[in-house]
Amino acid sequence: VLCPPARVGWCRAWGAPHSPPAPPALLPYVPRLSPMALPGKLTATTFALERPHCIFQQHSNASDAIWLVVAFANASAAFRNPPSRAEVPLYQQLPTRGSYMTLEMAVGTYSCSAPSPAVLRVGADTACGAQAGHDPCNGPLPSPGPYRVKFLLMGCQGPKAETSWSEPILLRRASSPSAIDPSPVRGGSSAVVVICSILASLGAVLALAVLSTVGAEVWASLCHQGLGTDTFARRSYRTHHIPPPLTLPTGCGGSPPGLGCFAS
Amino acid sequence: MAKSDDGIHILQGLLVFGNVVIGMCGIALTAECIYFVSDPHGLYPLLEGTENKDIYAGAWIGIFVGFALFALSILGIIGVIKADRTLLLLYIILMLITYAFEMASCITAATHRDFLTPNFFLKQMLERYQKSGTGNNNGKSVDETWDNLMLQNKCCGVHGPSDWQEYTSAFRVKHNDADFPWPRNCCVMNAQGSPVNLDGCKLGVSGYYNSNGCYDAILGPMNAHAWGVAWFGFAILCWTFCVLLGTMFYWSRIDY
Repeated sequence: VLCPPARVGWCRAWGAPHSPPAPPALLPYVPRLSPMALPGKLTATTFALERPHCIFQQHSNASDAIWLVVAFANASAAFRNPPSRAEVPLYQQLPTRGSYMTLEMAVGTYSCSAPSPAVLRVGADTACGAQAGHDPCNGPLPSPGPYRVKFLLMGCQGPKAETSWSEPILLRRASSPSAIDPSPVRGGSSAVVVICSILASLGAVLALAVLSTVGAEVWASLCHQGLGTDTFARRSYRTHHIPPPLTLPTGCGGSPPGLGCFAS
Repeated sequence: MAKSDDGIHILQGLLVFGNVVIGMCGIALTAECIYFVSDPHGLYPLLEGTENKDIYAGAWIGIFVGFALFALSILGIIGVIKADRTLLLLYIILMLITYAFEMASCITAATHRDFLTPNFFLKQMLERYQKSGTGNNNGKSVDETWDNLMLQNKCCGVHGPSDWQEYTSAFRVKHNDADFPWPRNCCVMNAQGSPVNLDGCKLGVSGYYNSNGCYDAILGPMNAHAWGVAWFGFAILCWTFCVLLGTMFYWSRIDY
């Protein structure tokens, strides 16, 4: 029975097959996450698979289509390959059936001459709404999983080849920012300690110096008030007008205004 | 005696010189603090609304302290030259008050700089960026600040784009994970302001997204700010300490 190669995956039924279809060939390839260092290859609702390269050559012809089966890890054993394209489980059926098929691609996409490396991003199409569409779509995954995937080569008669199931893929689960502790490392930086301690000691010394200076002056004035004079008697008192003949510096009597007389 | 007169003249000269330096440093401090308060890098909205904006308080105090230092230095020069005890006593007392304020500013700037850890900014960013429903100026400024930061410095998040994946955030509530694993501004943009390769950016293909975090771009200016206020203030205070001690010695040696 020939399939018209008009559209990928579309086959016209040419009559009932004469014999039950052969079970699909099991290919040794195991799907896996892309080995490239991409920070976006595993997110909370998507993941990026390595594109299989040169896997399906011997089993496929030009009219076949390669599907990606995504199933919950605990539902993968119970998955049965759909006998025809019309019975492919859709994205919207994931919660009820535990699996769906998506990323229908032409065989040429995975051929040996296709450019590689490349990735297949599962969950990239956010336009897949909850609307009950009848077309397969690649919607974001609703829960962190874990999921298992396999590739299925579908021809007109049904599945022709399949790969092994992948290892379970667990999506990211983000934690809450309230768990972040913003407080600095205890101990502080040494520069802060240096600044604070030196400043505190300088301030204390200054305050002490002012208090002692003013205190000494006040004490001196109180002490000598009993003598009846109002002067600071710590040192000899010289007036401007009666310079002592021998000891007065020349600058005192005729000193320019503004320069006081200083005790020697 | 000629010698003691010379000694006093030297002390006067030193005090005048010390006060001139204090005056100039006061003006410099005012100018520096005005520069910091004017927020040339636009980072103040990140601290606004938190308890950690005290490095700006330190800068505000610095403006007024700098001006006070300049005014007091002029008073000091006049008092030293005229050998007026009253003026000098006034100078010493006012200088002590200014000294205390500058000490507060220095210590505030130095200690609060320590609170600006990466986790502090990370928590702020996750809780506030793109937070819908606030509608007030506070929320909008945080969005604009982060958008500008990421665009101009070609960075993403605080540690990197993985911040948006490791934690839930206000951004994640607003934008779905499949289309926006991280904000659009983390993508490398072309001249028109749209991503060069959106799919490459979503996957994290190098060359199409910004892989480094913005923490260095934030901390650089804030460090300069905090240490500028703290260390320069500290230097001024050490110098002022010496000048004040000299002035007190001078004051105690002059007669009415």
